[in-house]
Amino acid sequence: MESSTRPAPKDTGLSPGTRSSMLGLMLIAPTVLVFCAVIVYPLISAIYLSLFSIYTPTMEGDWAGLSNYKVLIQSGEFWRSFGNNLVWTVGTLTLQIVFGILVALVLHQNLWFRSLARSLVLFPYFLSTVVAVLVWRWLFNDLYGVLNHFLMWTRIIDMPIDWLGTMPNAMISMILVGAWKYFPFVVIAVLARLQTIPDELYEAATIDGAGPVARFRDITLPQLREVLVVIILLRTIWDFKEFDLIYLLTGGGPVISTQTLPLMVYKEAFALNQMGSASAVAVMMMLFMLVFMFFYLRKAED
Amino acid sequence: MAGQRSFARKLMFNAFAWTIVLVIVFPLIWMILTSLKPQSELFMIPPGFFPEQVTFEHYWRLLTETPFLTYLRNSTVLATATTLIVIIIATLGAHSLTRFAYPGREFLARAVLFTYLLPSVVLILPLYFLMINVGLGNTLASLVIAYTTFALPYALWLLRSFMAGIPDDLEAAAMVDGASRMRAFVDVILPQALPGIISTALFTAILAWNEYLYALVLVNSDDVRPLTTGVMSMLVTSFNIEWSLLMAASVMMSVPLIFVFVFLQRYLTRGFGAGAVKG
Amino acid sequence: MSGISVQGVSKSFGDVQAVQAMDLEVAEGEFVSILGPSGCGKTTLLRMLAGLEFPTEGQISIGGQVVNDKSPADRDIAMVFQSYALYPHMTVAGNIEYPLKKRKVPKAEREERIRQAAAMLKLEDLLGRKPRELSGGQQQRVALGRAVVRDPAVFLMDEPLSNLDAKLRSHMRAELIQLHRRIGRTMIYVTHDQLEAMTMSDRIAIMHEGALQQLATPKEVYARPANAFVAGFIGMPPMNLVDAKLDGDGNLSVFGRQYRFVASDGPGHSGEQTVKVGFRPEDVVLRDDGEAARVAIVEPTGHEVIVVFEIDSARIVGRVSPELDLKADDQVRLAPRVERIHVFSGTDGDRLGGVHSEG
Repeated sequence: MESSTRPAPKDTGLSPGTRSSMLGLMLIAPTVLVFCAVIVYPLISAIYLSLFSIYTPTMEGDWAGLSNYKVLIQSGEFWRSFGNNLVWTVGTLTLQIVFGILVALVLHQNLWFRSLARSLVLFPYFLSTVVAVLVWRWLFNDLYGVLNHFLMWTRIIDMPIDWLGTMPNAMISMILVGAWKYFPFVVIAVLARLQTIPDELYEAATIDGAGPVARFRDITLPQLREVLVVIILLRTIWDFKEFDLIYLLTGGGPVISTQTLPLMVYKEAFALNQMGSASAVAVMMMLFMLVFMFFYLRKAED
Repeated sequence: MAGQRSFARKLMFNAFAWTIVLVIVFPLIWMILTSLKPQSELFMIPPGFFPEQVTFEHYWRLLTETPFLTYLRNSTVLATATTLIVIIIATLGAHSLTRFAYPGREFLARAVLFTYLLPSVVLILPLYFLMINVGLGNTLASLVIAYTTFALPYALWLLRSFMAGIPDDLEAAAMVDGASRMRAFVDVILPQALPGIISTALFTAILAWNEYLYALVLVNSDDVRPLTTGVMSMLVTSFNIEWSLLMAASVMMSVPLIFVFVFLQRYLTRGFGAGAVKG
Repeated sequence: MSGISVQGVSKSFGDVQAVQAMDLEVAEGEFVSILGPSGCGKTTLLRMLAGLEFPTEGQISIGGQVVNDKSPADRDIAMVFQSYALYPHMTVAGNIEYPLKKRKVPKAEREERIRQAAAMLKLEDLLGRKPRELSGGQQQRVALGRAVVRDPAVFLMDEPLSNLDAKLRSHMRAELIQLHRRIGRTMIYVTHDQLEAMTMSDRIAIMHEGALQQLATPKEVYARPANAFVAGFIGMPPMNLVDAKLDGDGNLSVFGRQYRFVASDGPGHSGEQTVKVGFRPEDVVLRDDGEAARVAIVEPTGHEVIVVFEIDSARIVGRVSPELDLKADDQVRLAPRVERIHVFSGTDGDRLGGVHSEG
């Protein structure tokens, strides 16, 4: 018997089930440690900081209680930033969804060089935001930007447009660039779902007399509903907290016309050196996001 | 006749579809073209589409006259270190979350998902203090630590769904065949999870490579800046903006990504399949 | 001494009681099937024997040694999984070699034993292939090869044939019977397919809702089911079970006809009670003095005909000769064969006995 040559397992006095649980806990331990150090601690710390009035360079300050929050709630800038945040999120998300579904439907068809087309469409999503913004700022350049030249050449406009320096142009440009950068996420997810809809469903509908429009409305859309809910929740969360793209494209300007909450956090902390009130903005922002995070977590459970 | 008409329809559809694709990638084509034009051609009115004269002078200047190579080195170190650390911790963690039973496991899984959605901007203020207090201010190490805040939950979540897809029976079979629990992990689970681990590593590396906010806040000198903040500082500091130089830098920054797209795309696709793609 | 002894074993997952107070004694070299509907706890029991799950209560011994705390590696068992669980990244040879490697068998001996196992299971030409390049039947044989190669004291099999098509399944049944005869090891075979259990086993353990219902030879299980569940589970089509009244004097009334109850092989009865009377389809006979019935459905299978009869609103399934040439809506008279009537308790379903005569 081979088993007799094996040393008996060490008698630890623990049941095998417990021994296995302990191994499991050992394996998760590094994760838990890192989580506590770089996520849980800072998270609690952020809430704690928001109760102080702290000068960033010296990192010293006094207890302020809830006064940071009181100031915020009465501040026009905070609500303006929150409003901008909503406009940006709703605007760019809508474009992402509409355009994402459209492109996914096109790429789902039998296209020449389909896999090349798919790769090209996905590319902006993986591109560094820095690169995306640099490219777009060059396209948007008021004197030498190709966008203005093209629009003037086609006679759509007769004067160059200041894409980033005036309102509402800056917000629209921002929403457009956001849509360009992030719609591939929708394409990926919708395309994956489209591929799982059985052809029999379409064949059955065709036999029942449904035309292309009816097939899309009665089969494709209902089948996409589940995945769209998840996409919308995820993208809402991500678009709401977007910092890089807005900071790099407009910096929140002109003045604070495109400033969203994440930008306000950064400005308070590192331009105005008010670490305490910056934390308060961050905490408030997280509270708004918790609603969506809660719905997403509930969805993810299923 | 019918064949001709269907071919015409096919042609029309392809023209339509490829127009959309080309509009989407036009900014990237323009980026490449601009980087190859001499400075003087940028200011022609109207601008020419193709460069009249192809030049690599901007790339040469980028490598010799700017700190680009330092940024490149920093970004490479950052992406590699972050990916290595995160993948090791997350692989063990995901194995634990998928194959072991202990109290609190479900809570942990949910916490992972929660942190995966957490905005960096909330964590960054305390992390900034923390790094300065422990003497890591303005170092690459501080960025590696900061990057784990988003990379670890992300990698754990991806790997968890990859590893949940490996049948339980495989581990059981290895144990019946005489392997210990950890031996079964190494002999059977790891080889099965390898494609998933590779795609998670790719996604993690891309995230680290593209990260901007932490780099903006936590480091402020050229010798530790990664490409993202480094290239951006070239824009801010130069007196007149040299677009062709910036476009050359953008192209260079995207080279690793192009490499991944061309040679490792099946791993990216597998990652989408696992359900989570970070924005 | 490589028998198995399961004593008072229970297993619960949270609130779910998967196996309850299970006792099972298996002799060395015996082929025992564990049969039951899905979710009856049979796979959990097998996994506890393997050491992949641990009992909440009770004791498991293999070869006279208590193995409760032993890991699978230390139990001298081999297991064939329903999914085969072949290691996808290893070749067929690698898969078969793995258990030997883990037990530190020297290289030369490993190769010899792989060769033997491959010869026994006709795998010689496939040794270099990966599992995904094999057909279902071939994968099945590799899984068997991985178990056989170690020559373990006990083989555990978890529905090993359920992923094969019908023809291959009947072929593999024969092969498994031969394999068992040749190596003579103890085998525990989990299945939900009564045909497999009936044809292959020395004894069958029938489980339902985590509890053992009956442990007996296939013949016994068929002829004298221990309770109404076993009666209804074994046999295709299953046994007819009809409600009936049993009075204090042992008079049984079924469809208005009187029988004398006999407790010869059951615990008997006390006082008046409702019971379930069972008789198999093949024990339904057409007789002129039988009960009036209408033919509802006729299903010819070739050598016999399955007929559903209606007596009032009750449905009785019978297995009759095609020569009778019954058609739907025919009126017939039928009765069960007296000596083949089973009587079960109306409350807990336990076997009470049979009947010995009419009247």
